[in-house]
Amino acid sequence: MPESAAHYEEMDLNFSREIVKVMIIMMAFLFPKKKELRLRQDILREVYEDNLRIIGRKRQAALARRRPFFLRKPFLVALLTVLSVLMHGNFATTPFSLERRVSANTLERKPVSRPAEAPQDRINPSDYNALMGDAKMPLSRVFGLGIKTIMIDPGHGGVDTGTTGKSGTKEKDITLDIARRLKARFEKTGRYTVIMTREQDVTVPLNRRVEMAVASRADLFVSIHLNYLPSRPINIIETYYFGPSSDAKVLKLAEEENAGSQYGLSEFREMIGKIGDTMKLQEAKGLATSIQKNLYSNIKKENGNAYDFGVKRAPFVVLLGVDVPAVLAEVSCLSNAEEELRMNTESHRENIAHYLEAGIMDYLTKGEATYESGRRAER
Amino acid sequence: MSQADVRKGEKVLFVGIDLGTSRSSISASNAARKWIQSYVGWPKDFISLQVVGKPVLFGEDALENRLSLDLVRPLEHGIIKEGIDRSEEAVQEIIKHLIQLAGPEPDQKIYAVVGVPSDSLKVNKLAIRKAVSEFVHSLMVVTEPFAVAYGMNLLNNSLVIDIGAGTTDFCIMHGTIPAEDDQKTILFAGDYIDDQLYSYLGEKYHNSKFNKNMVRQFKEKYSFVSDVTEDIQVEIPVDGKPVMHDIKNEIKRACESILPAIAETTQEMIARVDPEFQMKIKNNIVVAGGGSLIRGIAEYLEESLREYGPCKVTCVTDPLFAGSDGALKLAQDMPPKYWETF
Repeated sequence: MPESAAHYEEMDLNFSREIVKVMIIMMAFLFPKKKELRLRQDILREVYEDNLRIIGRKRQAALARRRPFFLRKPFLVALLTVLSVLMHGNFATTPFSLERRVSANTLERKPVSRPAEAPQDRINPSDYNALMGDAKMPLSRVFGLGIKTIMIDPGHGGVDTGTTGKSGTKEKDITLDIARRLKARFEKTGRYTVIMTREQDVTVPLNRRVEMAVASRADLFVSIHLNYLPSRPINIIETYYFGPSSDAKVLKLAEEENAGSQYGLSEFREMIGKIGDTMKLQEAKGLATSIQKNLYSNIKKENGNAYDFGVKRAPFVVLLGVDVPAVLAEVSCLSNAEEELRMNTESHRENIAHYLEAGIMDYLTKGEATYESGRRAER
Repeated sequence: MSQADVRKGEKVLFVGIDLGTSRSSISASNAARKWIQSYVGWPKDFISLQVVGKPVLFGEDALENRLSLDLVRPLEHGIIKEGIDRSEEAVQEIIKHLIQLAGPEPDQKIYAVVGVPSDSLKVNKLAIRKAVSEFVHSLMVVTEPFAVAYGMNLLNNSLVIDIGAGTTDFCIMHGTIPAEDDQKTILFAGDYIDDQLYSYLGEKYHNSKFNKNMVRQFKEKYSFVSDVTEDIQVEIPVDGKPVMHDIKNEIKRACESILPAIAETTQEMIARVDPEFQMKIKNNIVVAGGGSLIRGIAEYLEESLREYGPCKVTCVTDPLFAGSDGALKLAQDMPPKYWETF
């Protein structure tokens, strides 16, 4: 019997060992599963939150993690109530009242310093020359010439695709879309007639574009293009008005943009003869500066890789042939991969149209404001 | 079907959609699995409509009738060109068609997870949602390589290389939803091979008449980068007469042309990770997408990465449905409370 008792004891022990083994195996099997399950649940929650962000919504309160009691609303309200009762009557020196006083001060009218009346001088012939060369006061403003018709020229089109980005984005498509958006923006104001050199993806030779601008009696001509700079992964923004240039890169760009202009040499010479048109050059430079400033300052905020290549002179045929102020804006750079991706979103193209509109409007209204304020000061 | 399929007495159809540059597929909780080539065509005019007999054509059907159609490949180069080329409309048509192919019951609610190329999710988030949401009751959008990783349970310490037509997407998984730094896209993919092959064949057989579509078919049938003993001969017309052409060398050269960039980017992605986990990731590299069908690609990548230490590269078993199966798994695992908020 003792032998059999020892035998049973040993059996019990073996059985216990087996159970422990099985439990260890089960734990080893279950714990990683539980860990994996938790990992999966975390990932699913992140997918959900990521999608909420896409549609611009926040996680529902019910799904949010429970906050600790001292951060919950009822507790905070109660705490604030108790504090306000305890501190009753001591608000006179709190920052709130100071702020109120400061804001009240800002409403007070500041003394306006009026410019001293300029003595009436005798007019000399040289004053007319000064007037012609005064960059601060565009001649069209001096003579009260308004802008009624704006012609927008989406670069390239049809068989002429312009540059193509690495992801296949074509310059002709982007310029057309931005131009359409810009047109819609101006039309919304109800103040301008806007004409486009092309409304569809069609080939329009440069001379035809110039003819259209002349025939439609446009007061302003804005040509939209995209740059391509394969050697450097940056986004450059530059705006051109007509003029001679000694920069080889600018001349190369002009050669590319002028391709297929279909102008004869005699016509070209005739147009070159018009270069001395002070008003046109003066206005074009002002317009280019305003567009460049608006484009660059806004795009720089969105893309840190954007560089200001400034306002430049270049012999673009499309700018030369048009009798009115004309500029060519290279609004983006398709060789920059990030910029190309962004150019495929409607929101980015809408933004570019917005910046162009702001640049043009700044130019159109600045002159009026300057001129009007000058007149008011004279009175 | 999971327990979440039935909620509030309604039967829900879960679908996972892989919206690819070249092919799009759908896997549904009713066991339907379908795919089409990502081409959409609309008849050019009234006569074309009479000829093709349908207002919109898809995939192979659209390619065959391409002369009568305005043909669009909406995710060419991995992004939707919003407002251009009818790209968004084409995406809508593809989604609508895929859901029809999955055969939902009338008035059945559809909860969808859609996998898209990484760049597209980065750039076209809202456009994708807008294009898809019309046809589903609730929708979540993820990147294709992430959907593949989820479906294959590669949630931690792995690298998925999704070689598609327009782009190759890299995605490092480390136990969380991949952030922007964990993903990278390059343009060396199937379309690049097609361009190279087209140019090599043009140089070698300048009297032969072939087009990009034929070249793509040659690639899909014969692509390889390892040593292959058999000859590769295809029939190409010369002066109207079918002539056999040997294209073995050109196929190999064209397929190999994308691999240096892929190997380099793989190394770059792994180098970004905490050094402690680099070895684990190196031994868990998975190639997905149509590019995984290139014979010998896993061995080629292992060989090119060997100088940085040993590694293990495998290919998914079903590249056509790996993305949509993963997206379906995501949809079925998603807790009901998350769906209800969309």
